[in-house]
Amino acid sequence: MLRYIAQRLVQAAVIVAIVATITFALIHLAPGDPFSAVMDNPDVSETVRQTMRAQYGFDRPLPEQFVRYVSSLAHGQLGWSFSHERPVREVLGSALPNTLLLMGVALLGSFAFGILIALIQVSRRGSVTDHVLSALSLFFFSMPDFWLAILAFLTFTYWLPIFPSGGAVDPVMHEYLGLGGRIVDRLRHLALPALTLILLASAVVARYQRAALLDVLPADYIRTARLKGLTEPEILRRHALRNALLPIITLVGLSFPALLTGTFFVEKIFAWPGMGYAVVLAIGTRDYPLVVGGVIIGSILVTLGSLLSDVLYALADPRLRR
Amino acid sequence: MTAPLLSIRDLHTSFYTESGVARAVDGVSFDIGAGETLGIVGESGCGKSVTALSILRLIQPPGRIETGSVIEFEGKNLVTLDDADIRDIRGNRISMIFQEPMSALNPVFMVGDQVAEVARVHAGMGRRDAWERAVEMLELTGMPDAEARARQYPHQLSGGMRQRVLIAMALMMKPALVIADEPTTALDVTIQAQILDLLLDLQKKIGTSILMITHDLGVIAETASRVIVMYAGEVVEQAEVDELFAKPHHPYTEGLMHSMPHIGHDQERLNVIPGTVPAPTEWPTGCRFRERCPYSWDLCEREHPPLYQIGSGHISRCHLAIEPERRNNPHPPLVVEAGAAAA
Amino acid sequence: MPWQTQDFAASAPTPVRESPLALAVRRILRKPSSRVAFFVLGVIVLVGLLAPLLAPYNPSAQPDIVRLKDLPPSLAHPFGTDQYSRDVLSRVIYGARLSLMIGVLATIVSLTLGVAYGAIAGYAGGILDAVMMRVLDAFLSIPRLLLLIGALVAWPRLSIGALVVFLGLTGWFGLSRIVRGQVLALKHAEFVTAAQALGASRRRILWRHLLPNIVSPIVVAATLGVAHVIVLEAGLSYLGIGVQPPLASWGNIINDGADQPAALWWMSLFPGLFMVLTVMTLNILGEALRDAYERR
Repeated sequence: MLRYIAQRLVQAAVIVAIVATITFALIHLAPGDPFSAVMDNPDVSETVRQTMRAQYGFDRPLPEQFVRYVSSLAHGQLGWSFSHERPVREVLGSALPNTLLLMGVALLGSFAFGILIALIQVSRRGSVTDHVLSALSLFFFSMPDFWLAILAFLTFTYWLPIFPSGGAVDPVMHEYLGLGGRIVDRLRHLALPALTLILLASAVVARYQRAALLDVLPADYIRTARLKGLTEPEILRRHALRNALLPIITLVGLSFPALLTGTFFVEKIFAWPGMGYAVVLAIGTRDYPLVVGGVIIGSILVTLGSLLSDVLYALADPRLRR
Repeated sequence: MTAPLLSIRDLHTSFYTESGVARAVDGVSFDIGAGETLGIVGESGCGKSVTALSILRLIQPPGRIETGSVIEFEGKNLVTLDDADIRDIRGNRISMIFQEPMSALNPVFMVGDQVAEVARVHAGMGRRDAWERAVEMLELTGMPDAEARARQYPHQLSGGMRQRVLIAMALMMKPALVIADEPTTALDVTIQAQILDLLLDLQKKIGTSILMITHDLGVIAETASRVIVMYAGEVVEQAEVDELFAKPHHPYTEGLMHSMPHIGHDQERLNVIPGTVPAPTEWPTGCRFRERCPYSWDLCEREHPPLYQIGSGHISRCHLAIEPERRNNPHPPLVVEAGAAAA
Repeated sequence: MPWQTQDFAASAPTPVRESPLALAVRRILRKPSSRVAFFVLGVIVLVGLLAPLLAPYNPSAQPDIVRLKDLPPSLAHPFGTDQYSRDVLSRVIYGARLSLMIGVLATIVSLTLGVAYGAIAGYAGGILDAVMMRVLDAFLSIPRLLLLIGALVAWPRLSIGALVVFLGLTGWFGLSRIVRGQVLALKHAEFVTAAQALGASRRRILWRHLLPNIVSPIVVAATLGVAHVIVLEAGLSYLGIGVQPPLASWGNIINDGADQPAALWWMSLFPGLFMVLTVMTLNILGEALRDAYERR
């Protein structure tokens, strides 16, 4: 088992290295000089320019630039964000926990909800409920994330103002609230972005889980369970689900890219101060180092997510445990 | 004669498919006595497995047990019982063992838990008690190192061991009847003998009846005291085992006996029953074996034969019972043999 | 089913050979949901094709910025007008045309790349294959939107053609895996050795046997791929780096209304509805195709 984790970590490192190469290529294939905004800006301090030169090595031959780039990445140097006038690492570092919080809540919520929906659908297979739920999951599955976020925003902050319109905390009141009040404030701000993501992602989970359950139900061991005198709900929950959850674990890793993308849009629309929000703003200001930094961290997140899901799968399937 | 343990009367089980209604079991009746081993023999498609599944009401749509079928057990008709009651019987008073031990066990649970589950469902036992009883049962099936094995997963056990697990599962509640559907077909020959011995041994210890379903006459010879031969959804012959082997009456039974190869007997070609089983969506009129039978005549086409009494405890669905002299004039079968072997 | 014998095959009539594509299409059209989806998609495609004939106004025309701007839906302007007094319905219709066109073209690029990459990797085998697969994994680990953002921010003011190319360059990963799998399976198939013994060249065999086996994943990937690209392009346009105004795409109409989403709600609602409808129908058809092929 430990050997497996070690193997996967090495693979993950290789992948991140290739991603670094890809971003390097992106930076240098672009027309013009994406860094002129920094380098030619008189307001930027000399130390910053030196760091940038060291990191990117502008006048050096290409292979040397590449080596510098990779080694500075390895040291956690992600460049200078001129729109924030701080290192990219700092900007993204303070934004990342908010993104992780949102993604984490969305991940847990969507899987729990999606599995529940799938169980309901399978236990009432062929009924009106089943068909309605299938249609709804197809509907939300097909919906562009940013559009649902806009609709949710309009509905629940303008027309039925239940939730605050943005941010992670109330900009005015938060400091003056007691601990309980602060928690509630945070929850109120988290609710709508999280629920939007959960709604989108659970459609995917529900569809996969339903298919997985239907795949498992004709199996011989389900017939054995029936022979033992178990009720249909017991068979579904105890025997079928346990086996049908295995492919869903793989889905955890697979859903990271889509979840991250969705989070980006949701953060923009709800002004949730996470990495996505920072990157979207950086698009507007053409703050290229920040964008590239976001790409790299995003891909690290996805790689870790896939690693996590592979490890979970190995733990969950007794056939792989030896 | 004491009252039979299980009495099946006029069982009809059909499957409603796109290509028509398949009458897989078409009017089957027989009894099983307490403590006896009844064998059902027949080739694939004759309806023996469907009969077994019907007893425990495990027929799923598009299949259906037709109204009018009666399966009487311990004073109740299993066909009309409500769901909760039939669940009480499954695994408890009547249990079943299948052919494929690997796929019959859930791959993600320990085998001990799977055996123990029976006791938790029917006897309301707690986890620990049920586990202990499960280990005891596994020991009874001759599983070496039962305590350790119980903690293992199905993929870690051999075929023979998995079958022992299923047998332990089936016998946990000391049922009155165990239905064994091809229990040894998927196993190595050497293990087959062990499993069969185990079944008979446990039968003596616990006193259960066994319904042994198989296509293998050898297994029948070893285990059954009475035998039913099924063909095309019907019972075509029933007799005590010695009588059946010594004096088979129905031409199909005869054909089965003759097609068994014998060690020490030189044969250039295996004997084969020519033709194939008709499709269950279109059972032929008259005798269903007619076209493959070497003795058939026009009566066989006109009239569907009833079960004739041949001897004591011996019945046969064949008109030869009333015109036995036709057995002396065999003719080539009516089906054209395309060179392909039957069954 | 326990009662079915192998003998049924002998008595059943031999089926007539039909191309897998025709068979799949026939199977799909049997399901009512697919028929509806096909019809609706057909209508949307027609709307796009006939945009110049159907749009009531010129989508870029700004007739009266003072009096006709920001009008809610009315009989004259069923989808309202935007802040430049452009008619939103016309823009949505032209948006259908543009978004569908981008979707199809980008998907063609992706399919070509995916088949080529997968075939080369599978055929070559060995180290080249391993390296190609690792690179593929790396691309897969970057969410497509992020990759596009990274590329597009560096290339400001892109033409539609360039946008199509970028979209296509980022969508071939999944298909190449599938194609590679098929090539690998074929390489080791016994009939390849047999055919070689009869004198056929390896390349010829692979080509003749590869194509029929990858038609189905390609068709499925194409259908679902177009759906993805439509959503992606809309997202990019919404962020300002996709289709630039005055050209209309569903995404940038929403972007135009993004500053006042409540006041200009019609600019968010209608393009989105069309998007959902198009993507839903494509998903229904793509999955029906996938099921139809798998049931073989």
